[in-house]
Amino acid sequence: MTEAGYSEPVSVDEVVTLLAADDEAKCVAGGASLVAMLNARLVEPSRLISLRHVEELQKIELAEDGWLRIGALVQHCDVAIAAELTEGNQVLSQAAGLIANPVIRDMGTIGGSVGHFDPAADYPVALAALGAEFEIAGANGRRSIPASEFFIDWYETALAPGDLITCIRVPPPPAGSAGVYEKLAKVKGDMGIAMVAVVMAMEGDAVSHLAVSVGGCGPTPIRLSDAEQALIGGRIDEAAIQNLGDKLSAASDPVDDVRASAAYRKILIPRLVARAIGQAKTKLGDGS
Amino acid sequence: MSSGETISLKLNGEVREATAGPTTTLLEVIREQLGLTGAKKGCNQGVCGACTVLIDGKLARACLSLAVNSVGREITTNEGLTEDGEPSPLQQSFIDNGAVQCGFCTSGMIVSSHHLLQDNPSPSVDEVRDGLSGNVCRCSGYKKIIDAVRNVAGG
Amino acid sequence: MAADKTTNKMYQVGKSIPKIDAKEKVLGQAQYIADLIRPNMLFGAMLQSPYAHAKIISYDTSEAEKVPGVKCVLTGDDFEDHKMGPFIKDEGAIAKGKVRYMGEPVACVAAEDEATARAAALLIDVEYEELPAILSPEAALEPGAAVIHEELQDYFKVFEAIAEDNLMSFTEISEGDVDKAWDECDLIVENTYETQAQNHLSLEPCGALAEVEPDGLINLWSANQSVFRVQANVCECLGLPMSRLRSMTPKVGAGFGNKMEAHIQPLCVALALASKRPVKMILSREEDFETVRARHPFKVRCKTGVMNDGTFVAREVELLVDGGAFADDSPGVLGNAALMSMGPYHFPNAKAFGKVAYTNHLRFAAFRGFGNPQVTFAGESQLDEIADKLGIDPIDLRIKNVLDKGQKWFGGQKVDSNGLQECLEKVRASSDWDNRRKNSGDNGIGVSAAGHISGLLATGAIVRMLEDGTFVLNTGATDIGQGSDTVLTQICAEALQIPIENIRTAAPDTDGSPYNWGTTASRVTYTTGRAVVGAAEDAVRQIKDYAAILLESSADDLELREGGMVGIKGANKEVSFFEIAAMTHWGVGGPIVGSHTLVFDQPTIDPKRAVARGMPFTNIGVFTFAAMVSEVAIDQVTGKASAEGAWYAVDVGQAINPGLVEGQVDGGYAQGLGYTLFEEMVWDDGRLANPTLMDYKAPGTAEVPYEIDTTIVEHPEPDGPFGAKGVGEITLVTVPASIANAITHASCLRLRKLPLSPERVLNGLMENE
Repeated sequence: MTEAGYSEPVSVDEVVTLLAADDEAKCVAGGASLVAMLNARLVEPSRLISLRHVEELQKIELAEDGWLRIGALVQHCDVAIAAELTEGNQVLSQAAGLIANPVIRDMGTIGGSVGHFDPAADYPVALAALGAEFEIAGANGRRSIPASEFFIDWYETALAPGDLITCIRVPPPPAGSAGVYEKLAKVKGDMGIAMVAVVMAMEGDAVSHLAVSVGGCGPTPIRLSDAEQALIGGRIDEAAIQNLGDKLSAASDPVDDVRASAAYRKILIPRLVARAIGQAKTKLGDGS
Repeated sequence: MSSGETISLKLNGEVREATAGPTTTLLEVIREQLGLTGAKKGCNQGVCGACTVLIDGKLARACLSLAVNSVGREITTNEGLTEDGEPSPLQQSFIDNGAVQCGFCTSGMIVSSHHLLQDNPSPSVDEVRDGLSGNVCRCSGYKKIIDAVRNVAGG
Repeated sequence: MAADKTTNKMYQVGKSIPKIDAKEKVLGQAQYIADLIRPNMLFGAMLQSPYAHAKIISYDTSEAEKVPGVKCVLTGDDFEDHKMGPFIKDEGAIAKGKVRYMGEPVACVAAEDEATARAAALLIDVEYEELPAILSPEAALEPGAAVIHEELQDYFKVFEAIAEDNLMSFTEISEGDVDKAWDECDLIVENTYETQAQNHLSLEPCGALAEVEPDGLINLWSANQSVFRVQANVCECLGLPMSRLRSMTPKVGAGFGNKMEAHIQPLCVALALASKRPVKMILSREEDFETVRARHPFKVRCKTGVMNDGTFVAREVELLVDGGAFADDSPGVLGNAALMSMGPYHFPNAKAFGKVAYTNHLRFAAFRGFGNPQVTFAGESQLDEIADKLGIDPIDLRIKNVLDKGQKWFGGQKVDSNGLQECLEKVRASSDWDNRRKNSGDNGIGVSAAGHISGLLATGAIVRMLEDGTFVLNTGATDIGQGSDTVLTQICAEALQIPIENIRTAAPDTDGSPYNWGTTASRVTYTTGRAVVGAAEDAVRQIKDYAAILLESSADDLELREGGMVGIKGANKEVSFFEIAAMTHWGVGGPIVGSHTLVFDQPTIDPKRAVARGMPFTNIGVFTFAAMVSEVAIDQVTGKASAEGAWYAVDVGQAINPGLVEGQVDGGYAQGLGYTLFEEMVWDDGRLANPTLMDYKAPGTAEVPYEIDTTIVEHPEPDGPFGAKGVGEITLVTVPASIANAITHASCLRLRKLPLSPERVLNGLMENE
């Protein structure tokens, strides 16, 4: 047992330098994921890098390109009430508001959560539906990775050793869109058995934008862009919704775990998809 | 008996010195070194809520907070909510409403309740249930705890 | 807050006073085992078995011993072959020769701090030879199955156990002739019901602190439900005379059966003896899940025969129970389950029999309800199935068959107080049953009723007058948070007619407290309360004798007056307890000590009426009753059922403290609700897959509805303290069936396997479509 080192850098560059110098170093933000793992001796970092004085990571701001930049250290409680998240992007605030409980939402950060990447967590599925991107600072400067490429496998992301998530980039919501986040959990605040995020817009009776992602039912959030595209421009009736739900279920790869069986999740997906799309239609004023 | 460096913490309005390594939790420091045992280690994983404290006015799990990362912040435990060592109106309401059984969850429950009442002095039953959804009690079924929070005199 | 009953004429009994320990708890100052510190204290940690069933070949402790700060390392080789156990003495302090479940302690370490002890324990190298793991009672009882306790026949047993190979205990009770009776029945319904393992999840993990005095006497503090069971268990498994060990308890962060028998205390004492330093051991939540104990999974085959008018004719119940690796309370749980399996009803023909088997799971043991929740889930679910087939209202069917005054419980014990019919009528009214059963919206409501024992075994009390006329009450009963110190103080204050503040309630301590079997079996209010009344009466006799001297009167002419006075009946002349205390301490007679002990002795089985084999106990307790209605909502999309409200009526004989009765109702409901809807310990082969609060979920504020309505029914128990009987367990017993019956009302779906998870509900809904 050697004692770990501890640093409190103030800039992203400093953090990246510290990470580059030490393979076994870990960043700590709210602590909700990392300290629980430290307590259980699941990780034994050689150095802890506290991000609390890195100003850049703490803000939500609208960038010039119209994308929203949510700093990695923004806490779930603040995402849940962020006024900057409007229309369809509210699917992210809804997801944040369903994470764990008020205490964890006061502590946990968006960067910490997505970096830890539990496929049963709430943010990944919402971010996948939004087509969000992850800005990452590493030894070779900054880069942006789309959600579809960021989540790779169970607890595995595109983060390389030495990388730091600096912010989550959320595109502007489609005009007139609505977002719905639907989650089934054993008890309130638990990791989901299955989650569905829907972002949708309509022009008249026709669907003008549709993104549906499913979480908790495989190693990464599931989205079927072709199936979504096929529905654009048409009326989205019960049969179409059922068809999309069935396809998502077929594409899912859930496992049996202590929360539910894989078979149940397969049954659940189309049902949750139908409920979420139904709620989105209601929000959009389409009662049909 | 943690090894590490001397740190000073702002705890319940006093500056207190302690020794902490990078992985020492705030809960270990306040319980084992600073003699405040109201916050409990029920799961050491942030789920049960028995170690709930306030850090800079926000709710936090002391078991998930690193002591070194808490330096310079205002830390308040249930003991810090007492009034000259006597129960505050909220704490008295827990007594009067029969909200205390085994008492292991009580300090965390009171801290969460205090935070809730700061934002919302007259919460509905469902608002209390939402506010306390991160604090587990295995004895009471919560009903009398909800009553205690809603019936605080002078609150 | 509970209203005091206006009709109550008593001085202290019947009042919802705050718990006497509430203030120290709200201030965060109450001391629990993890808060205690002794000078020069070490910290203990353990190494756990990675196999469910294996021979231990060898140990290598050298790496652990090298770690700076490590003071002592113990393995099974360091322990003599002594065994403990409340029914079958089959369990050592630590694994020796073989391991019988994954997670079982195989070695332990004492070191200067917790981190060092835990790290060093992991450096102990143990060589195993794996044996076939037995993970269900069916597998355990198959011919040729690997035997878990090779020496079972040689173990000491406190009853005539029917035990062989992996069969831990077989019990059978019968009355009348069920085999003949089936022909008389108009309707026979038979089903099998299954229940899962539930974790007690007292918020405080188990822990202990032991120190050895220079003369070799051992002081042991621990989280427990009985300082006396701790003393007995530790001394039995370490081969120590009980006179050498003093067992005490600080505040206890709840116990629901998990802290009744030993957990970590024997290892902690062994480490203190070996290291010659005080040693504290506090289990992590994971260790607590993996090693302490849990509620038994049951399979219950229940067959009930009735007449078309609803009259019960016969019931047969067959039980198959997973006992886990050590017997612990399992034979008792099986016996009590058999005894409770007819419910609180009259069956002219009744038979219950079953087996509990050793398996390679952790020990299953006492848990609020003690086998009754499992059989009541079966029996009360089946009654609704019968009511449905007969077209009879479920409450009417129950009332028609409730045990009448003078009728005997299954087995033959007399039932002196029984308010169940009134309970059923009260919940019918409070829940608006008749309307809501007819006009259900989306939500369903369901009823369930039960009787449960209150009592068991030995207890005592000492009431001691201090120099100033105030008192110390000492019972040895552990208050585990439910409020027994407050209730016993109220009983004592009533008997002495003095203010609560004039009584100090002593903490349990085997050196100074009279024997108390424990805080379990819904027994403290009833059994220990009786002892307190007896001890107070003994003190009052002495008080009156001395008062007679001071008042120059005859003791027969004296009466107690409120506030600590003795007066002459019909006259103003009186003397205070202060004066009597002064006289007895300094001049005449000697200080007053009242005492009383008793053992519950009403026989459970009347051999003239019932035939019983393999019964693990001869006397069990009086009977307490409850009825409840649950309301449930079902999400048709996901199948998730959620509890929306509960209406209870409980017959507690006499509520000593109505607010604390409500606390037991609310808490029993919440724990029962978790058990019914989602709590489940899940094993992946022999490994417990969810030993954390991340993965094992207890009900939170979102799951437990605020709408819990309690009606207290009072049919006094003739020998209970002021008529009281216990309420700790029965409030959980009725929950599963009431929710299952409500789901049937909401959706026509009958589920017979707990928990009633979204998956099971949705599968059922889809099958019904």
